[in-house]
Amino acid sequence: MSPLLEVQNLRVTFDTETGPVEAVRGVSFSLGRERLGIVGESGSGKTMTGRAVLRLIRPPGRVEADRMVFDGQDLIAASEREMRALRGQRIGMVMQDPKYSLNPVMNVGAQLTEGLRLRDGFGRADARAKAIAALEAVQIRDPERVMEAYPHELSGGMGQRVMIAMMLIPEPDLLIADEPTSALDVTVQAEVLSILDALVRDRGMGLIFISHDLRLVARFCDRVLVMYKGRVVEEVEAKNLLAARHPYTQGLLNCLPRIGGSRAPLPGLDRTGAWTQEGTP
Amino acid sequence: MSLIEIDNLSVTFRAKGREVRAVEAVSLTVAARESYGLVGESGSGKSTILRAICGLAPISGGSIRIGGVPVATPRGRAFAARVQMVFQDPYASLHPRHTIDRTLSEPLAIHGLSGSDARVVKALEDVGLPAAFRFRFPHQLSGGQRQRVAIARALMLEPEILLLDEPTSALDASVQAEVLNLLDRLRDERGLTFLMVSHDLAVIDHMTDRVLVMQNGRAVEELTRAALAGARMTTDYARSLFDASADRMLDPAKEAP
Repeated sequence: MSPLLEVQNLRVTFDTETGPVEAVRGVSFSLGRERLGIVGESGSGKTMTGRAVLRLIRPPGRVEADRMVFDGQDLIAASEREMRALRGQRIGMVMQDPKYSLNPVMNVGAQLTEGLRLRDGFGRADARAKAIAALEAVQIRDPERVMEAYPHELSGGMGQRVMIAMMLIPEPDLLIADEPTSALDVTVQAEVLSILDALVRDRGMGLIFISHDLRLVARFCDRVLVMYKGRVVEEVEAKNLLAARHPYTQGLLNCLPRIGGSRAPLPGLDRTGAWTQEGTP
Repeated sequence: MSLIEIDNLSVTFRAKGREVRAVEAVSLTVAARESYGLVGESGSGKSTILRAICGLAPISGGSIRIGGVPVATPRGRAFAARVQMVFQDPYASLHPRHTIDRTLSEPLAIHGLSGSDARVVKALEDVGLPAAFRFRFPHQLSGGQRQRVAIARALMLEPEILLLDEPTSALDASVQAEVLNLLDRLRDERGLTFLMVSHDLAVIDHMTDRVLVMQNGRAVEELTRAALAGARMTTDYARSLFDASADRMLDPAKEAP
C-alpha cells in the first residue's frame, strides 16, 4: 500500500532581520493509516512540521520540501484553491489551545454547524443533529447545553473536545492533532485517546499526534519521531521507546517523575553532549 | 497542631439563578513543613480550595484556620505575609507591562519593607535567574523563567505556606523537572509548607507526603505516599485515576491493556 502522506526533506524557514531562522531542518517521514507521534520540547519544530503539511505557515515563513505528497496529490505544487479543498475535508487539524482557536463570539452550535450548512448543504435540523452526535462522540455529557454555550463558558477540556468534534465531522483521512490532550485530565485524556484510536482503527484514518509528553505518545502511537531543534534525532517503534538510545530521548524520559519513584532531584536534560551540535550551521 | 486546618469547607457560586457547588464539605489538615497534594479532574474543586484559602472564592460553609486562627475577611497584609500562591499559567499571572523588578518589589512596597533593591537581586538568585533579568518584561522570558519569577514573587514576603496551583502543567517535561527541583530545594531550605494542586499523579507523588483525591467537589480518598506507590487505594475513582496516569504505561512489568 502506498503511504497516505510522504514527506522528504521538509524545511520551514523564517526570514528575520538577523538572517534566516530554520524552524524545521530537513524532516522526512512517511505515514500510512497508522498513528505517528512527534515529540519534542517547545521550539523543537514539531508544531511547525504539522502546520507545514497543511501549508498553514504564513509569510515571511517559507515551506520547502523535496517531496510532500498526500494520497497522490503534490502538496508543494497544489494551488491555494486545491489546498482549501483539502484542509478540513481530507486533512483535519486539532489545534493546541481552545481559548485561541474557537471563535469567541459564536456559540458552539453555530461553529459546529457552520461548515455542515454552508459546505455540505445540510438543513438546520440535520446539521444540529449531526453536531450533537459529534459532541456525544467525544463524551460530552449534556451536548444540548454545550451547543448553546460560548467558548468562554467552557472549561479547557470541554473546549478541546469541541474542537476535536468539529474536526471529526467531515471525516478526514488524515488528522493532525497538535497537543490535543495536554489541556485535559488524565481520565478524560484516556477517553479522547480512545476516540482517536477507534477512528484510526475503524475508518483507517491516519493520525499525526504532536505532543511533548513522551510517555503518552509511547503508549498511544505506533511510531515516534523525536525532534530537537528542527531535526528528527531519533525514530523509534513506540514499544521500543524504553530502549531508545539517543541521549536526548533518554533525557526526556528520565526527567519525568514517577509514582513511587525516588525523591532525589529529577535529572535535568543535558544539553552539552556532542549530539546538540549536529548539523548546526 | 496543624498549620492549615480546613473543616467542612463548602464553596458555592451563584450566577443567573444557577448554583454551582464547587466544593462540598471537604476537610483536611496540613502540618507545618508538610507537603500536601490535591489531585482530581478539572472541575473537581481542587483549585477552588486554594482560592478559597486566599479569599478569591466565596466560602459558603465550614471554616479555614491557619495556625489555629480562623482567617479574617478580607484577608489583609498579615495573611499575605504568611500565605502566598503560585498560579498555573505564568503567562497570565505576571503583569505584562511591569518589569520583573516592579513585580518583585511591589509586595515589599505594600508591606513597607526596606532594602527592596538587595531583596530583589537575592530573590532572583534564589530561583536561579541572573540578576540582570530584573529589568526585563515577562514577554522577554521563557515559560520556565516566568514560573521562576512567579515563585520568587510568592517568596518575597518570606511566607510559611505556599499554595501551588498546577505550577508546572504549562511547562515542558524538562523544564518541569527544573521547577520541581527548585520547589523541593526551597522547601528544604526555608521550611515551607506546601499545599499543591495538580492533575498529574506522578508530579503529586514526587512532591507531596499525603494526597487527597477529589471528584465533583468532594473528597474521595486520602492517600499517603506509601499507599499510592503500593496502589493500596480503596475507592474505584482513585484507582481509575491511578491507572490512567501516563506514568504507568511505560512500566514494562504492567503492560498496558
